[in-house]
Amino acid sequence: MTQIAMPQPDPLILAKRERIIAGLKERVPAQWVITEEDERRPYETDALTAYRRLPLAVVLPGSTEEVAAILSFLSREGVKIIPRGAGTSLSGGALPQEDAVVVGVGRLNKVLDVDFTNRTARVQSGITNLAVTTHISPDGFFYAPDPSSQLACTIAGNIAMNSGGAHCLKYGVTTNNILGVRMVLLDGTIVDFGGETFDQPGYDWLSLVIGSEGQFGIVTEATLRILRACEGARPCLLGFDKVEDAGACVAAIIASGIIPVAIEYMDQTAIRICEDFAHAGYPLDVAAMLIVEVEGADAEIDVLLTHIEKVARENGARIVKVSKSEAESAAIWKGRKSAFGATGRIADYLCMDGTIPTGQLPYVLTRIGEIVAHHRLRVANVFHAGDGNLHPLILFNANDVDELERAEQAGNEILELCVEVGGCLTGEHGVGIEKRDLMEKQFTPVDLDQQIRVKLLFDPDWLLNPAKVFPLNLHPLPLGRAA
Amino acid sequence: MQTSFSLAQLADSDTRESEKILRTCVHCGFCTATCPTYLLLGDELDSPRGRIYLIKDMLENGKKATVEVARHVDRCLSCLSCMSTCPSGVHYMHLVDHARKHIEETLPRPFADRLMRAVLATVLPRPELFRLSLFAARLARVTSPLLAALPFQWAKRTVAMLALAPDTVPMRSPYSEPVTIAAEGPRQGRVAMLRGCAQGVLAPEINEAAVRLLTRHGIEVVFAEGEGCCGALVHHMGKQEASHDQARRNIDAWISEMDGQGLDAILITASGCGTTVKDYGFMFRDDSAYAQKAARVAAITRDVCEYVLTLDVQPPAMPSRLVVAYHSACSMQHGQQIKTTAQGLLRKAGFVVKEVPEGHICCGSAGVYNILQPEIAGRLRERKAANIAKVTPSVVATGNIGCMTQLAGAVGVPVLHTVELLDWASGGPLPRKLTKNALFAQHG
Amino acid sequence: MSASSLAPQNSLEVASIVRDAAARRQSIEIIGGGSKRALGRPLDAAITVDVSGLSGVTLYEPAELVVSARSGTPLQHVTDLLAQKGQMLPFEPADYRPLLASTGEPTIGGMVATNLSGPRRLHVGACRDAIIGCKFVNGRGEEIVSGGRVMKNVTGYDIGRAMAGAYGTLGVLTEITFKVLPRSHATLTLVYEGLSCDRAVALMSAAVASPFEVTAAAHIAEGNRARTCLRLEGFDASITYRAGRLIEDLAEYGQPQRLDAAPSKGLWREIGEARSIIEPADHVVWRLQMPPSRSAALVNSLRAMMDVSVLYDWAGGLVWLSHAPGDDVTAVRTAAKAGGGHATLIRAGEALRRRLSPFEPQAPAVEKLARGLKHAFDPAGILNPGRMYAGI
Repeated sequence: MTQIAMPQPDPLILAKRERIIAGLKERVPAQWVITEEDERRPYETDALTAYRRLPLAVVLPGSTEEVAAILSFLSREGVKIIPRGAGTSLSGGALPQEDAVVVGVGRLNKVLDVDFTNRTARVQSGITNLAVTTHISPDGFFYAPDPSSQLACTIAGNIAMNSGGAHCLKYGVTTNNILGVRMVLLDGTIVDFGGETFDQPGYDWLSLVIGSEGQFGIVTEATLRILRACEGARPCLLGFDKVEDAGACVAAIIASGIIPVAIEYMDQTAIRICEDFAHAGYPLDVAAMLIVEVEGADAEIDVLLTHIEKVARENGARIVKVSKSEAESAAIWKGRKSAFGATGRIADYLCMDGTIPTGQLPYVLTRIGEIVAHHRLRVANVFHAGDGNLHPLILFNANDVDELERAEQAGNEILELCVEVGGCLTGEHGVGIEKRDLMEKQFTPVDLDQQIRVKLLFDPDWLLNPAKVFPLNLHPLPLGRAA
Repeated sequence: MQTSFSLAQLADSDTRESEKILRTCVHCGFCTATCPTYLLLGDELDSPRGRIYLIKDMLENGKKATVEVARHVDRCLSCLSCMSTCPSGVHYMHLVDHARKHIEETLPRPFADRLMRAVLATVLPRPELFRLSLFAARLARVTSPLLAALPFQWAKRTVAMLALAPDTVPMRSPYSEPVTIAAEGPRQGRVAMLRGCAQGVLAPEINEAAVRLLTRHGIEVVFAEGEGCCGALVHHMGKQEASHDQARRNIDAWISEMDGQGLDAILITASGCGTTVKDYGFMFRDDSAYAQKAARVAAITRDVCEYVLTLDVQPPAMPSRLVVAYHSACSMQHGQQIKTTAQGLLRKAGFVVKEVPEGHICCGSAGVYNILQPEIAGRLRERKAANIAKVTPSVVATGNIGCMTQLAGAVGVPVLHTVELLDWASGGPLPRKLTKNALFAQHG
Repeated sequence: MSASSLAPQNSLEVASIVRDAAARRQSIEIIGGGSKRALGRPLDAAITVDVSGLSGVTLYEPAELVVSARSGTPLQHVTDLLAQKGQMLPFEPADYRPLLASTGEPTIGGMVATNLSGPRRLHVGACRDAIIGCKFVNGRGEEIVSGGRVMKNVTGYDIGRAMAGAYGTLGVLTEITFKVLPRSHATLTLVYEGLSCDRAVALMSAAVASPFEVTAAAHIAEGNRARTCLRLEGFDASITYRAGRLIEDLAEYGQPQRLDAAPSKGLWREIGEARSIIEPADHVVWRLQMPPSRSAALVNSLRAMMDVSVLYDWAGGLVWLSHAPGDDVTAVRTAAKAGGGHATLIRAGEALRRRLSPFEPQAPAVEKLARGLKHAFDPAGILNPGRMYAGI
């Protein structure tokens, strides 16, 4: 039905399903091993529901040691493993295979230790991103990366995908905010990368593990860098009659020497969808809107917003509206962060995630409009404008097979466009299954080969989340290719 | 989300509705984060999104419910926290109601389970029977230690049920009969109030306080002839025929008042019941004889707080400054989406109102959930009590009898209905539970 | 020592040199300006490859906050270019020439290979955090691209970032792209005098845990009078406000002096270069990373054993420490490890650097992986072999 191929299930593995299940039940209490077809069904997909595969079984371990026992057992048996956090991946990162066992970290959801003096928090990886901040916010601290799905997504998933968020313009993405991880390797070895210090001796394992899409091991604990929040933060809404003006305004703000905490872009379609849900007071009669947020004490915020308003007016903003209360700010962000889900009110969607050089914004927005129109579809644009990370939402009807195919085609063309103008396929959602077959558009075979060599260090038999990231024709590595 | 129902399946009204709901869901997973059972269990299957998927699979394929599907749907509290969270506007309530009906119709439950459900469905909606059973429960409680030692779910449920029975059974309320209470002074309005079932037996003081508060402000209150349980209890067990019968009886009773002396509103003092009565329109959408009447009833149904807000209730001359933790019932904040009304009224009435941390998570009461799922309900109660303790209140206020019963023994301070405090602050008598409370004596 | 020295002018030539060397199993020492050649374990390579010929900024888009430069480009050239547009490399790379008594021009490639980060690392992250793309030649002589020129990019593994701090053992860097930041309009440093190490670390921790965005915090324990320095950056009104609030909140530590932009700049350069502890020149110098709250205790425990000179940066997360060459060198590492940190030997005679691993020894499981990673990039083991650890 969809264009992306999945490997054929291994009959040898399917044949010993009972034995595999029995082995899992020896290592984890039986109630946490999910085997009935009815119950496996909800685990067949994540937030990219166009792809679905019923897993062999699902197991929900309750400790690092249980994860180690499971991985050691499954790898000995040659069984593929699909790590899963909260299943909010938009790139199909947690999509199972028929001959694979899903290992979910949902039960590992505790805060282990918070050290405000050293500004670190040690957590189990299955905790949600927002739960970390909720836990430390009474003391004025927060964990910076804030993907839109932060309410539900897990730190484990954030680490797998190197997730970003609206506020990473100032604070960086996951890789810039993790000090250490505890990871279980395929053979059950438990290793600690990093720790409580700023940098680590030896190779920068965190760079490799963060963003490895569950292909190196299963992270069960993480030490997060936590930050003291500024005294206050205030977003303003800038409304433009021309899409290009909004794009130019983003560049002008940054060129003027100010880095706001966030600069978010929404086009008219997205504005209407989100306003309907969040009642945030978005201007409905503009072609495009920017949410620009600045931080500091009131006096600082006033100075910054005055400056931003001036730049915005010079760049054609018709509406400048500053949030007047915490409640209003919360509504503004609730609307933005719910953009994807709220789109469900009017259509199904495919969410793209390419990043482009911000100078290319006007051109790329025009081309996206053309591409989508060519495929007789509609698009809602909502994205992190400050860093050029686009999220065109291609709207379609999932019950219409032809529309889904056209939507996928349009999505591919948009991502190729991103690469063409000097950008990349994915800024924060990960390659997953969705962009796997486009990888050769961005990388040469030699580039991919080098990445695969790193993968093979952790997973020589392609057992960990194997059908993702690399096009199927690139694996398994033919004998003799290895040096 | 993609669906695959046949045209024949879609000919069924419930299935058609469910299909519409499923199509809205984009499977983003936001709902998982605010679901009490997912929070405790960490299993997709015990999250709204997982249940939606289980239900989808069951309905699309026309499958009979399995024990597994029923287990996860049974664990759902119907707190509807997911509906507050859902950005896509998925109407989970109607979907899970449909699933419960499907499960009830297609899954033969074990004998003990059936018996327990039958007892609850028979006793709770009938005030006289329920009253008698409370006396019986007090006697039966001597068996609890024995039962608790048994490894059976039915035994645990029975213990949970017995534990919920109050130590003393209140006197029968004057409002347990059809009656009209005249407004004090010139009549400003006329409302019907749901007499209901269990609440009238367990805590008659709630409706009594509400009546005093309303009549003092010029509102005539009628307890209509023929009304009774709203149907919610059996509705949540998937017993649609019984719930519709009960609802029809109420609709008849209120329509006759509306068409007689007229009603400005139908007031509900238990938000759980309110959520259901407000949904009568949907429940009877395909019933040609009742669709219109049900919609009329639903249209003027209000939580008592919503209505009190429209009255000119003056702040007291001497505010009590009593610290009140407001526990928003799920049916209030999620079911009816009433988020701040009661808190505002209490503040205006001179109370210091504290919001409870993690206030969006259920206390575990959820109708008869605390009897049918005692383990999860118990953990949620402890969690709620710990959160309430963080704001160190003198009293807890809420708008739902289920939560009051659930929290009564767990929080160490009196648990009152919002209208009891509002009544007291505007000239009514001191609530009974406060006079008994030593803590309050200090404040008083 | 080297039998031959080669000076490629572009990445193609680098690739060809490495390919040939791999075929002959000849080891390569990669150098740029040579200013940090004395870091790490001494090398005995067959070939020296000098990448200074790979020079020049290849892309600079100020409005996109991005700059790319070939690896042999002098660091100074890049910082000057950025300064013209009011921008900077965020992580404030320091000049190690005074410390190492070296000459030569520090390059972009050397900065990345050593993950060189100065005082602002506390606030905005290390060199590795600013890398958004990189090109290198692996040990098989293949030109590899990782990342790109956009701020957010999770397409494929982040192997480019892992080149930071790998000391050239995974590949020969040829071009690196960084995220840059606007320079602040104004700078102010608050200097508290006469605090003990414990009090100084407490002060710095409190300052960093305040909402007032301290962009650097250091404690210079040596000299006549200890100085604890907090830096604020931003625009004037903001700095004035934040400084006022900090001074008020930290009143128990005394009244600080205020240094404005020009003296601040000099002060922080000296802190980045660890000037206060580099004399005498024959002393052994360590760079310790610690959980900040444990750094003062670590120093106290060492002081009981030997004479040490100390400089705290990163609010106590980094401790520069020097001692006489005759002292017990193993004590430093043992103490750091016991406090949850790790120690890097930065300056020592060649004999000591051969005898004692300059970098913190790794856990066996991690060491095994490190060998594997080396193999994945450089199967013949020819790139800076042994520069970090024996065998990789």
